[in-house]
Amino acid sequence: MIKTKKTGLHTFMAVPAFLLFSLFFIYPLIQGIGMSLTDWDGLSHANFIGLQNFFDFFKDERAVSDIGNTLLFALGSAPLLNIIGLAYALLMNEKFKGKGIARVIIYLPAVISPLIMGYIWYLLLQPGRGFMFHALELVGKSSWLGNWLGDHTAAMIVLVLVNVWQYAGMTMVIYLAGLQSIPEELYESAKIDGASYWSSLRYVTLPMLMPSIRINVVTNIIGSLAVFDIVMALTDGGPGYATETLSIYIMRMCYGSKTGYSTAVALIMFLIILIPVIISMRLTREKE
Amino acid sequence: MKRLIAILLSAVLVAGTFTGCSNSASTNSAKTGSAAVPSAAASSTASGEHVNLKLFTGKIETIDLMNEIINDFNASQDKITVEQEYQKDASNIIKIKFASGQVPDIMTTYEQGFADQGKYLDLSDQSAWWDRLSPEMKVNCTDVKSGKQYRICTNMTMAGFFYNKAIFSELGLKTATTWDEFVKNLSAIKEKKPGVTPWFIFGKEAWHLGHLIEFIPHGYIKQQLGSIEAKKAMLANDKAKLNFGAADGAMATFAKNLVDLKNKGLINSDVLTATSDNCVQEFVTGKAAMLSNGMWVLSSLTEADPKIADKIGFAPYPSYMPNSKPVVLSAEDSGYSISATTAHKAEAIEFLNFLFNAKNQKKYSETSKAPSAFKDVQAEWASTNVVSEVNTALKDAVNIGFTNEKPAGFSGDDAGRLVQDLLSGKYTPETFATAYEKAWNDGIK
Repeated sequence: MIKTKKTGLHTFMAVPAFLLFSLFFIYPLIQGIGMSLTDWDGLSHANFIGLQNFFDFFKDERAVSDIGNTLLFALGSAPLLNIIGLAYALLMNEKFKGKGIARVIIYLPAVISPLIMGYIWYLLLQPGRGFMFHALELVGKSSWLGNWLGDHTAAMIVLVLVNVWQYAGMTMVIYLAGLQSIPEELYESAKIDGASYWSSLRYVTLPMLMPSIRINVVTNIIGSLAVFDIVMALTDGGPGYATETLSIYIMRMCYGSKTGYSTAVALIMFLIILIPVIISMRLTREKE
Repeated sequence: MKRLIAILLSAVLVAGTFTGCSNSASTNSAKTGSAAVPSAAASSTASGEHVNLKLFTGKIETIDLMNEIINDFNASQDKITVEQEYQKDASNIIKIKFASGQVPDIMTTYEQGFADQGKYLDLSDQSAWWDRLSPEMKVNCTDVKSGKQYRICTNMTMAGFFYNKAIFSELGLKTATTWDEFVKNLSAIKEKKPGVTPWFIFGKEAWHLGHLIEFIPHGYIKQQLGSIEAKKAMLANDKAKLNFGAADGAMATFAKNLVDLKNKGLINSDVLTATSDNCVQEFVTGKAAMLSNGMWVLSSLTEADPKIADKIGFAPYPSYMPNSKPVVLSAEDSGYSISATTAHKAEAIEFLNFLFNAKNQKKYSETSKAPSAFKDVQAEWASTNVVSEVNTALKDAVNIGFTNEKPAGFSGDDAGRLVQDLLSGKYTPETFATAYEKAWNDGIK
């Protein structure tokens, strides 16, 4: 057995990481908490106003509506990303010709900037002049393409679908790594016991994939609740504020001379993200 | 040996972290020092030290020309060097600069809130500039609250309806002075030229819809109250005079008219997703007959198709309320301010004197395609046709300025988003008017 000897060296070697973490995380966090208790407008002197910013947030119809939009986006995106990502992974785990190219194609959108992706989809979906309009026009079906990005409900659906289309490949890669680490003997044993494909999936694959599920669920919840770029490019939060998310609201408040308030909203957003992340981590840990 | 390497690496990393902090701290303190103690810096200038001036701008159309003028200025003397910094999102970036104490000496961004907080130098005593400026533009550059001038504009800009003269001529149409005539014109275009959008609105860009409010219902209030009284009413939020929420008021009537046009198919069906680029393309290719915009769109139109210059017509916004007249925006453009905390006031004024001389302003006006605000500058800022159209519109309509007195928490972009909601069916004209009034009142708090 290897014996480890604790010395002061261990502590010293952690100092750079601790300093960097303190400088770029703990210090801004403390600063942010302090700022959220003020009426600072980014220019003039900041006055301490206690928890007033937090009370104001819940009285602001636009802010409450933005929480709804953000949650709606996350509730649509996170499950879809996992279902489609897992389906892709199961497919890519099989042996077939052209698998390598298929994997690249599925993963490719994830390496493109979400802002660029948003603009690409905006140009594709423009009614009357976009690529899809002209493609459908060729087959006499241009009326199928509605002005979706100008509709309150349809715009949110488009945002969710574009997000899922972009990141399903990334979810797939994590599931694929998990699938490939499941010992083949478990499937052979299940087969001997007469298990069908679906039974193997339910009683072997999914339980063994729990660590991958946990990583994917947590990262997808965080990513979806903090969404910014795709919304800015596709709808700019519109029409009106129909697709405005909390992160966009924070940015607009910060630049709208409400810097203290925007910091309070950022802290609220931090809590909004933290709650589902803790719940999902607890749930998946129990399953493990 | 391994332990030694580990200790050395850790020490280097720790030192690196502190070095970064130390550098940043010294840089910041140097900058803060120079901004906070103008007298010390001023004395160093007096002692003959070289001065670097920062000019901050968001005006993309004049970047190259400004670099040329700045190079000429820098070469003309050896005690001042001017550096230009351009930021696309200048109105927001300047807030960060103010907050971080990195305030530029000269800037082209201006906001009422900054003026209220004393961020700009009082330029009221620069009579050499004001004597040369058109009296209307001097009024537009005057802060209503204090009666002082914190900025000087080099140009004027106008906004109204740009229309395709060839289409109007082919259909025998005349520019409208009333809303009824306007609707008749649009209907005639739709009927006789089905492939042409009568009025193209690029509503994905909320600021554009905000401008419609600015020019039409706000324009009505300004012509009814007069320019200065309207500004005072907006600053004081005089609800009796502004009357935004009235069911038969200027705001509700504007909303009703816009919804009517949408329902009749007289504006583009993709109004909520169309962009400025789409609008320019549709107009220059003859697929759109009219668009609302300011003179700043001219360069985009002529860039997209140089031949369009002769076909461009310009008309005021028609009257749409009882006892009102057509209006056209005639406002200050390209304003220059000096930071109140600059240590180099004299040098900043010296540079602006150079920039404002008639020779440079002729070039400036022609590059920015906007008429000069200086009376002694004769520039060919647009084609003869456009200049003639604009002059006629200015003569025939009530001239209004921009509303700089809006509540800090209710921007033109916010107003445009309300119009997006109106066009997407969330509001009726009446609920739109009350929502606008509420947003305005909330923005003041």
